[in-house]
Amino acid sequence: MSRPSSATGPGGRSSTPSGTARNLANLRKAQMTGLRSDDNVLASLRATQIVASKPVLPAELIATILDYLPVSDLARCARVSRRLQEMVYDDTRWIQKLKAMGVWNDGEARQRFDENMKKKAEAQRSREVEEARRAGGQSMNGHSGAGRGHARSSTLFDVGLEEEKHKISIGQADSPERQRRAPLADGFDELTISPAGGGLPPLDTTAALTILSQVRSIRGRARQEFGKVYGALGPLYNNLVRSRNQSEALIFRTYRDPEQQAQILSQLNRFSKCDHSEGWASREAKLESTIVAFENAVLREFQQGLAANDIDGRMKRYAHVLVTANGGAVGIDAYLNNDPVVNRSRRLGNLLDCLESVAPGHVDLNPSQSFFERLSEHMVDQASVIDRVFPPSVDVLMPLLSRLCDDLISDSVTALFDEAHSRGIETYVKAVSGVFEQSLRFVASIKPCKSSPPDFVEQARQTVILCFDKHIDLYLAEELAFFKTRSNAEVERWEKELSEQEANAESFFMSNIQRQAAKRDFLSSFKKVVMMPVTAFPLSSPFGSSKQAPTQPNPATGSTSRPMTPSLGDSNRSSTPQPEPPTTELAAKAAIMNNRLEGIKSLFSIEVALNLTHHAKASIERAAILTKSEGKHGPAAREQCETIFVELLDILGGKHIRPGFDKAVEHLGNYNPREVREYKSSQAPSSQDPSAAGGVEPLVTFLELVNVGDLIQQMIDVFYSQELVAPRLSDRDDFLNPAGKEKKRFEQMLDERVAAGLNKGIDVLMHEVEYIAATTQLPTDFNPPATAPGAAVDIGPTSTATAIISTVSSHTSMLSGSTDKTTLDIFTQEVGLRLFTLLCKHIKRQRISSAGAVTLISDLNAYASFVSSLRQKPLLPYYAALRELGAIYLVAIDPPGTYFGGGKGGKAKRASLLSTKASSTSLQAKELATIIADGQRFRGIFPAEEVCEFAERRADWYLVRGDVEGAMYGVGCCVM
Amino acid sequence: MSSEGEQTVKLVSSDNVEIVTERKVAERSMLIKNMIEDLGAPGEEPIPIMNVSENVLKKVLEWCAQHKNDPAPTQDDDADSRKKTTDIEEWDQKFMQVDQEMLFEIILAANYMDIKALLDVGCKTVANMIKGKSPEEIRKTFNIQNDFTPEEEDQIRRENEWAEDR
Repeated sequence: MSRPSSATGPGGRSSTPSGTARNLANLRKAQMTGLRSDDNVLASLRATQIVASKPVLPAELIATILDYLPVSDLARCARVSRRLQEMVYDDTRWIQKLKAMGVWNDGEARQRFDENMKKKAEAQRSREVEEARRAGGQSMNGHSGAGRGHARSSTLFDVGLEEEKHKISIGQADSPERQRRAPLADGFDELTISPAGGGLPPLDTTAALTILSQVRSIRGRARQEFGKVYGALGPLYNNLVRSRNQSEALIFRTYRDPEQQAQILSQLNRFSKCDHSEGWASREAKLESTIVAFENAVLREFQQGLAANDIDGRMKRYAHVLVTANGGAVGIDAYLNNDPVVNRSRRLGNLLDCLESVAPGHVDLNPSQSFFERLSEHMVDQASVIDRVFPPSVDVLMPLLSRLCDDLISDSVTALFDEAHSRGIETYVKAVSGVFEQSLRFVASIKPCKSSPPDFVEQARQTVILCFDKHIDLYLAEELAFFKTRSNAEVERWEKELSEQEANAESFFMSNIQRQAAKRDFLSSFKKVVMMPVTAFPLSSPFGSSKQAPTQPNPATGSTSRPMTPSLGDSNRSSTPQPEPPTTELAAKAAIMNNRLEGIKSLFSIEVALNLTHHAKASIERAAILTKSEGKHGPAAREQCETIFVELLDILGGKHIRPGFDKAVEHLGNYNPREVREYKSSQAPSSQDPSAAGGVEPLVTFLELVNVGDLIQQMIDVFYSQELVAPRLSDRDDFLNPAGKEKKRFEQMLDERVAAGLNKGIDVLMHEVEYIAATTQLPTDFNPPATAPGAAVDIGPTSTATAIISTVSSHTSMLSGSTDKTTLDIFTQEVGLRLFTLLCKHIKRQRISSAGAVTLISDLNAYASFVSSLRQKPLLPYYAALRELGAIYLVAIDPPGTYFGGGKGGKAKRASLLSTKASSTSLQAKELATIIADGQRFRGIFPAEEVCEFAERRADWYLVRGDVEGAMYGVGCCVM
Repeated sequence: MSSEGEQTVKLVSSDNVEIVTERKVAERSMLIKNMIEDLGAPGEEPIPIMNVSENVLKKVLEWCAQHKNDPAPTQDDDADSRKKTTDIEEWDQKFMQVDQEMLFEIILAANYMDIKALLDVGCKTVANMIKGKSPEEIRKTFNIQNDFTPEEEDQIRRENEWAEDR
């Protein structure tokens, strides 16, 4: 609608603003008709008719049309009619233009608007107070004009507005109206600044330089703000795009200084963005070409400065000019092209030297080291020059770095890697990881300059890592393949050696027995060595340090010292001094062990296991360097590390340990004590008596194997936590993790083998014990000849019992500490139980006199005390019962019917049963019977029947049987 | 909808004249396109174009035929796309050499029938007509009544002095 006039007329009293306007229009028409002739009235009427017949474009279409108009035409359109003026003055149109130039800030506008509203509200409140006061005064005039009083107050306020338009921003009850009025009112105010006399206002040339940054974002004042910008830049812009010759353009005549020219050009460039009217494309192109021409001129100056190395003079000045004019891209480009390293006028060394004069499979990383050192020096130098030449708003160092990466590093590295690959995989993997590591250190040594973004270090890393991008996939694959082939080769080599030795293997076995003590000693020393680093390992891993390559510092030790030393040189010696002692100690011990371990060398070798872990460690360490790179390669490298670990377990477990265990179990299964004993005695008849050897040879071997297997498992565990968990390559708690899963599987496999072997081992052990019992137990042991009573005084376990105990105990104790406690418990319990049944069987095979009972009891006591030393509670009752058993042989029963003499016939028994009733024999038999029937005594281990069976082994059983059975089954039996 | 290229549609102008045209041509108008999609079976049912008379409709369809192979208009019509509008093609310039009444009718029809490209061309043509003219000339060209007092007009002129070409 139309805007309300500032004139106070009759319309001022009407209730709505539109009403006001209509009234005003009527009024004016009346005035005009009053002034003009009747023809004019008719003419205007006719015109109205024509307008009505003509199609009238709706407002939004007119607005669209206005969008295509240049600013000068917009200004004229505003003068056509009120409707058009309103559309032209629409704030959004101008905000849009300001936005196109990038100078409108929505947030700022909102803040200003809110502040305005607040002020308005305050003013409103104060006005209300005033009004209330005035109303109080008016009420004296009478209460007729209550309604009119309000209307008049608004009128009064209108006058006030006219008077103090700008001193205070005043609110009004109907704010939309006020807002619409504001632009017009402010517009007047704006124009009072410029001289009113038409013509050209003198260009404020210095103000124009920074006009765009002075724009304020105020709602409702966008047109005025744009006006200021247009006033300053419009003439220059129009002049520029119209001028034929660029050098004649007004800007180059107005501004002489290249700095100012650059400034104004960049302002114009932004200004041109709001030029929407037809032909903008050609105008923009014109401006563009002007800027390019200007840039070229400045660039020439800059290059001259560059050639003269005039850093603080021409270079600095024209770099700033270029940056002001158009961001300085061409200047940076020229600067980079002039860089001695980029244009290859200065050489930093040849990376291919790394492969010169080295043994196959090795890489000399010193040339690459110095290459990166020089590069880093260069970067530091350049950073300081860049700081001096370029303004801090542009980042030059980063483009320089990426340029270096693209041109120099990428090329050299690719050449090196290709060459290394052709020389062999080992060379390749060493080169890749070594150079990668060095490049990371190079990144760490670069210092950001003033203009660098805050994430410069991160960006630089990304850029450098990008150089290795295409190599990483291949490298990871090669690393795994390398590790696989090398490990397999190791295992195969060992197997081959073994098969060559196969012929003498047998003799090894045999000679082994004599060295048992030495082996024991070795085991303990080995354990000591391996256990020692386990406790100390947070500091350094024994495996890690023992495999210390001169070029590759161990990350565990190296990482602590490296970040603090930006120079590339000294990282090599950082790790050496500290881990040295354990390394040599372990090496020495390992040599001794390997020497002594020959006995189980035919099964599997701890040396091979150590070598395998060393290979794995080297591979994982190399691959682990790559995990520092972000993006897809970090996880890939991490995965590869896990795969290497899995592969290690697979080769070590599947190809090495499992066959060893299987072979050992097979040996156990084939064991036949008799044969071995015979063989042995034939082999070494003079050395010692067989029992002194005191071991089931394959079982000893197997138990040692268990020990070594356990050792390897501990080794793997240490390796896992040191190499994979500590550097966060693998998560120990992640049960889905392939490495963790594989490790568990490996442990499980080991446990299974151990369990199977132990099962076999128990069989073999019992077989041996049985053999000992059968071959050494003399019949006279428990049934001493009555003729020599003096000899029976010798109380103590028989040699058989001692042999058995020593055999069993030597084997059980061998396991302790090496396997899982529960496995061990089960093993011991099983041994105890089996020994128990075996002893029962053994006793049942003997004939025991009451004189021999003492010997038996001492035997049994020896067994029981041995078993109690095993600390297996469940076994104790059995042996306690066994001890009690001795009592049944101790009861002396006088043989009945002495008159029968040594007669041992059924008749005699029957006779004694029938005839003598209250003889001493029957009393003693009764005593025995009570012992036999006493379930309490044997704690339920032996039922009476079984005790009875034991009683049958009495030497005099057939003499006393009748009495005992009679006593056992009572009188009823007698009647029967 | 097997042979879309050959399909024809029947359009009915506001003065009840039937015009048969190629479907592809008619579908330059988003209004007709949507209608055809809603109706489903084109060809049989005549489509009424209520606000457009026969001569204007024919003119509009002439433009559509010329531009039937143009790429479909993109939907984002914000300030940025306005900036990117190119200058009027030569054929369009000739096409728009009609009397002013017709020009306005075409613009209105393009607006009604939702043919954005034609609307743009029309508006640009009008803008070119306004360009360089004094307010009085603009009033004359478009038959607009001056509802300013001379003082008011002068005031506005002074307000916008900055915009005048120098």
